Formats: sequence, C-alpha cells, structure tokens
Amino acid sequence: MSVFSAPHLYPIGNFRQLVSLATFLSLVMIAGTSSAKDDIPRIKGKPDFSGIWQTTSSADYGLEPHSNRADAPPGPGIVEGHVIPYLPKALEQKKKNFEKRASADPAKKGWTLGTPRGIYYPEPFQIFQRPQDVTILFQFGHSVRTIYTNGTEHPDDPNDWWLGDSRGRWEGDTLVVDVKHFNDKTWLDAAGNFHSDALHVVERWKFLDKNTIEYKATLEDPQVFSRPFDISVILHRHREKNFQLIEDYRFTLDYDQYYPPKPDSQ
Amino acid sequence: MTQRKPSLKPAAYILLGSLSLLALNSIAEEKKAATPPPQTNGGIDQESSFPKIASGKWSGPVLPDGQPDVQGFWSNTIANHNNFTDPQGGIPGSGRPPKTTRDQRAPSRVSDPASGEVPFQPWALAKVKEFQAHFHDPVEQQWVEPLARCAPGGIPKSFYWHGYEIRQYPNYVLFYFNSGTRLIHLDKKPHLPDNIKLWNGDSRGHWEGNTLVVDVGNHNGKALFGRTGEFISENGHIQERFIFSPDGKRYNYEAVLTDPTVYTRPFTVTIPARRWTEKDQPNGWHFEVGLAKHAGKQAILESEERICAENNAAFGMGAATE
Repeated sequence: MSVFSAPHLYPIGNFRQLVSLATFLSLVMIAGTSSAKDDIPRIKGKPDFSGIWQTTSSADYGLEPHSNRADAPPGPGIVEGHVIPYLPKALEQKKKNFEKRASADPAKKGWTLGTPRGIYYPEPFQIFQRPQDVTILFQFGHSVRTIYTNGTEHPDDPNDWWLGDSRGRWEGDTLVVDVKHFNDKTWLDAAGNFHSDALHVVERWKFLDKNTIEYKATLEDPQVFSRPFDISVILHRHREKNFQLIEDYRFTLDYDQYYPPKPDSQ
Repeated sequence: MTQRKPSLKPAAYILLGSLSLLALNSIAEEKKAATPPPQTNGGIDQESSFPKIASGKWSGPVLPDGQPDVQGFWSNTIANHNNFTDPQGGIPGSGRPPKTTRDQRAPSRVSDPASGEVPFQPWALAKVKEFQAHFHDPVEQQWVEPLARCAPGGIPKSFYWHGYEIRQYPNYVLFYFNSGTRLIHLDKKPHLPDNIKLWNGDSRGHWEGNTLVVDVGNHNGKALFGRTGEFISENGHIQERFIFSPDGKRYNYEAVLTDPTVYTRPFTVTIPARRWTEKDQPNGWHFEVGLAKHAGKQAILESEERICAENNAAFGMGAATE
C-alpha cells in the first residue's frame, strides 16, 4: 500500500511532518476498521445474521482433539485448553457413551441436536432475524430455536427444552445469548460428550466479516463438569447459487416406506 | 400440555394425553356456560360455518419489504384431523357417533367437487377405506397415522393440527407448526430437483394483494390428511392460496390438489383460519403460548418449543385409559 511507503518521501528529521503522517495513518486505520464494520449487514443498527450458515470444522466428531477413527476424521478440537473438565463419575459416563456411540448418539436417531451441537453439526442452518428475535431453523430435524432479543427474561419455572430457553442481548456488535432450561437428552458431539439438564450455555455471536461468524460458547454444568469451559468455531455463509435448506426429518426413515398407499400391483 | 417430549415413556404419554383431554373438556365446559352452541364438538370446533374471503387489495399493515404483515398466531376454526371430509363428525368407527346431524356440522374440507368427497381413483378409495377400517386396530404399519409417530403434519394437515405461528422475513414466510416447520420461499428461485421428495414439499410463493399464492413441488405424499387416511402421492402437485381478510383477523386457505396417479380430477381444499392475540386466553390446542417474563407491563406472547421425535405409537394408547 502506498501509505506505508510514504515515510520514504519525508526527511527523517521533520518532526511536524512525522506527526501529521502519524495522524494520517491513524485516521486511515480507523477508517479501515469502521468500513469493515459497516460492511456487515445490519437490521435496526444491529448486526443482521440472516443467512444460511455452516461450520467446516470437525467439531461434531469430537469437541476434544482426536485422531482419526473409523467413523470420524481427525480434528484439532474446539475446546479451549483441549480437555473437557469432567467430574470423575461423568468421565466414566462419557467413556461409556463413546463405546456405544453408534447406537446411542441421539443424532443417529435423528433427534434434535440441542444447543450448542446444532450450531457445529455438519449440516446447514438458517438464521432469520427480526429486531425482537433471532430464529434458527436447522436443516437437521427442521427444528426451530428462538433467541429472544426483546429484553425478556428466562421463564421462572418452565419445562425442560431440547434446545433450551434462549435470551439474547447485544454487547456492541456481539450477540450474547444466555441459554438454560435444557433436557438431558442431547449430546454435545458424536463422541459421547454429554451434559445434564443443569446445562447452562452462554453464547457469543460476532461477525468477523460479512460472510463469517465467530461463534463462542461457555458451557457450565455442575453435575457433569468441574468448571465451566469454552468452545469456539467459525461459521461460513453459504453463497452457492439458489442454495437452500432441504428438510431432513431423519427420524422418519424407519417408517416412511409405509406411506403413501400404493396400488397393489406395484 | 401439548408440548411433546420424545423422551417420555408411554405411561407418561397416557398421562399427558389424559390431561390434554381434561384441559379440552374444561374449556368446553366453560364455553358452554358462557355461550350456547354454535359449538358442536367442544373446544376445538370453534364454528361450523365461515365467511368467504375475496382475493383483492391488501389495505392492512405491510412489512418493510412490502409483504402484507400477517405475523402472529393462527389456527383453523372448525376441527382437528379426526375426519377430513366431515371435520366435526369424529373418527369413523370410534363407537362415538356425532350427536349432531350432518348439516349442523362444518362442511367438508373438500369444497370442490360439490359432493365434498375426494375424487379418488377406485384403488385409492379402497386403500382409504382399508385405513379407516383398521385405524383403531393398526396391526399393519401403514395403518398407523404417521403424525402419531411424530412425522411432520405435512400439507394440508398441518393447517388443522393445533395452532401455529407465522413469522415473516424478506423473501420468506415461515410457518412454525406444532409438528414440522414450513418455509415459503418468495425469491423466485426454482424448485429443488424433482427426485428430492419432502414431507412438507418445496414451496415457492408470491403475494397478490391480500393473497399469498404458493406452488408446492417435491412433495413426498407421506403425510396423510388425517385419521381418515386420505392422501396424495409423490406424483402430486399442490397450489395454495392464503386469502387474508382486510382486517387481518382471518384467512381462508384454498388449495388445489392434482395427482393423476391417485385422483380422477383436481379438487379444492378449503380451511378457514383465525388469528389469536394477547386478548385471547391460551386454550391448550388452538392457541398455545406463554407470556414472556419482563419488566414492562405489555403482554408479549411466546411460542413454546415444538419438538417431537419418538412418539412412535398408534392412536389409542391414551384412549385406553379413558
């Protein structure tokens, strides 16, 4: 960039010129930052995450770093510090889950993936956004998660939900979502990592650029983990021509051959 | 009470089912005390006749992208999926025949032909009758109504299976049903390749004044129309018109179903719907919302999560405890 070669044009000893150059460079950098910010789509001033998103990471095969195995590619993991801090008894359960994952993984039955797994499962999801809420439609199971961004709070004594109860607020351009009131029927990945109904997730959604979201989450569950831990993945916008979700009601596959009726001759 | 939890064991389902029935009964009782008929079958049957709504200009509120704003909570007004062509007539073979005469009940959802019957080819009609004969005793897989296994309600059944929410976005109308989710694409992209078949099909729509016009392709034909077993096949095509009244309080759903492999001619399905607002009391079937907790005084309605994955049982597992 010509800006960075500019100092060669000035005598080193000219302090005033250096100061004005520094000022100019600062202004350029500020302008650069703000133009990157302005590049992201917005709705009523807030970042607009509307679009179809998917991670390219191998997080769903295992949140922790892992070598390849017959049913998974290798992966560097997405857990900060690499290791999920299980309580001893929970670690035993995780190992059992891993051993029987081929049949016990709820995703294998086509069940709702839960939060945060739906975000990094290797299928696209679509975000629809209004000022008062963010709706996430997952291709897998076509389940719907609503993140309320209208200043409302968690209900006092609700049911346990597959996807939890999500209340979001904006911290600058970051959407911070507090999620709780879960059931204990979902896993965190295909490697048997799990949680109880005491799971509490705090998500942070932020644009890196208009086609890339940085998704971070802190997971807390005093019945399963010895302390909260953090995960992080990058989500990419699907930009293929005419790309759309294709509903994936996997759990109907066991019986869908019985419908509709067919002529007896067929 | 209709929040369905796939993890529940059948015993819990029986309890849930019984509680649902109790809830509905108590609603029916209240309504009886307040207002005598037109109700015929209780809480789900809100009315037995309904106004025609003409397609025309939309004069109500519009969204920034120009769509008529019809967001909010809706449900059909006449009946659930017990019976497709005699919506308030109960399930055939239930042993509980309706206490009303046919002309006191809502008309068939088949509005054309005038007979109110689906113009089935003989083989297809035979299959429907077979389904009805075995509905209460589904000893073969194909006689289990797929909704009872958590399958999506599909088209048109989703429009008379509980209430639902409409959310709108630039280029999309989203129907958040009790069982399944449907996205109408307004951006004129082509249908999915023909070999992809889906429970809710693939929907392309546009607005003509007060009317949302939708073309449905890629339909898998697996979601039956109700407990009476009517159906369309994967060769079928559905053209829908959602005609909203000028005051935004009602709409009529009119769909033309075509399937030369199942029917002798195209036919029209009409389903009346009404809007529910914070002025209405949640009633456990048509209008299932919670009130959001917040510091303000304004009533903010919230849908609850609708997820069903493992129901997987025939009709009657709850009824057995009655």
